[in-house]
Amino acid sequence: MRDAVQDEIIGQFDGLEWLDKYGLLISYAKELEPMDKEFRTEENSISGCQSKVWIRTYRENGRLIIDLDSEAMITKGIISLLLKVVNNRPPQEILDLDLYFIDEIGLKSNLSPARADGLASIIRRIREVAEREMN
Amino acid sequence: MSDFRKDFPILEKEVYGKRLVYLDNAATSQKPNSVIDTISDYYSSDNSNIHRGVHYLSEISSEKYEKSREEVSNFIGAGEPGEVTFTAGTTDSINQVACSLKSILKGNEVLVSGVEHHSNIVPWQLAGATLREIPMDEGCNLLPDSIEITDKTKLIAISHASNVLGSVNPIKEVVEIAKEHDIPVLVDAAQSIQHMPIDVQDIGCDFLAASGHKMYAATGVGVLYTSERFGDILPARGGGGMVDRVTLEETTYLKPPLRYEAGTPHIAGAISIAAAIDYMQDIGMDKIREHEHEVYSYARNKLLETDGVTVYGNTKEMCGSISFNLDGIHHYDTGLILDKMGIAVRTGHHCAQPLMRTLGTEGTVRASFALYNTKEDADRLLEGIEKVRMMYA
Repeated sequence: MRDAVQDEIIGQFDGLEWLDKYGLLISYAKELEPMDKEFRTEENSISGCQSKVWIRTYRENGRLIIDLDSEAMITKGIISLLLKVVNNRPPQEILDLDLYFIDEIGLKSNLSPARADGLASIIRRIREVAEREMN
Repeated sequence: MSDFRKDFPILEKEVYGKRLVYLDNAATSQKPNSVIDTISDYYSSDNSNIHRGVHYLSEISSEKYEKSREEVSNFIGAGEPGEVTFTAGTTDSINQVACSLKSILKGNEVLVSGVEHHSNIVPWQLAGATLREIPMDEGCNLLPDSIEITDKTKLIAISHASNVLGSVNPIKEVVEIAKEHDIPVLVDAAQSIQHMPIDVQDIGCDFLAASGHKMYAATGVGVLYTSERFGDILPARGGGGMVDRVTLEETTYLKPPLRYEAGTPHIAGAISIAAAIDYMQDIGMDKIREHEHEVYSYARNKLLETDGVTVYGNTKEMCGSISFNLDGIHHYDTGLILDKMGIAVRTGHHCAQPLMRTLGTEGTVRASFALYNTKEDADRLLEGIEKVRMMYA
């Protein structure tokens, strides 16, 4: 099923050269509020990423609030996009999401296996949390 | 200086529509046509197992394999080919020594430098030794005079050149001190053998480890020099091809080097090292050193002159790698943009986490040079850096 947020992101990246795509990712990164330092702990970090990524989640009014941050801008840009799509939704909705934008903006094909693995780890972690919140 | 790029077909490649600037040579170097042809020719006309067959192909393969050993031996100034063993690479060479000396190392101490990569740290720990660092100054110059040798010190294992900083360690001075105490020294030449002439007898070390793939030969093959006085240590691995007589009660081993080469070796790889040595020697190691020094110094000085760039390490002699960071920009972000500009560098901790802690950083951007790199490559790197800064401004 198509998703309006993802379609809008895809539209923005459409036809851009890779350096411009990175430029766009950087501007998305700048939009993302930094995570409070106290939450940037080893416990909250996700392994499998070339740059450090921290995750923090909590429930609010039946929705899952996700806070992600990274020390690297490009990674931060990618997680900023990811948050636009997955954040602040009921857990079931998150589990049902097909994250097709990653492929369609060219991220999947452009990320090396190691980097793609990092992104996959982040998505896996979000899904795990959503699943836990279902029970 | 002539352009060696033409000898390396991969360097013709365009990435993202730009001419490839390959500056990840400390990870692995590209291969000249002569090496590629040697590997291809081996499989298309000579392929056979060595030291076993009575037949024609086996004879030819064995001959080429042993000829390569002889070339390596001459290249590093070993006393005789028997002192050179083919291994799977530097890491394997070091692991073999660690394993063979396990009974001596266990519960004792190995001295290392502060710039070692994990391959010259972990094998010693696995063998049960504790590690102690040889002191160095702020520029990462080793201070051999402050080496402290105790009853527990059983080996000194140091890199000739750092894979991160490009700093060259004063190995001869270290060996001199070690000799006074009759301590063997292992030199990790992974990051030096392709950059400068090496003479193990002049250095006076007992072991020297190097990788084929960093010196323009195949991956998965390397060399280990073992001085004659350690020629009778127990092999780390057993199997076919390394034994004299086997009974279920007892086995006796062949003399070195064969006793250290259990099983079928990487024959094509070993032969490719000879082709790589021929290639380098045709140019001349001194000439390579001179050309690389010119390009390296040019790049390093330009980086040092650039505001907002931190360049790590500063020793008397340097080669190969330059590590740096752009102020306020994560090394990973720098590497990604450089990649899109066709410039291949490495980012991260470069398998040298203790050194990263000393430098006070999580990681660096590393540009590492080979004989085919030019000042133009360095200029492209600097342009790339400007672009990175613009993008993250």
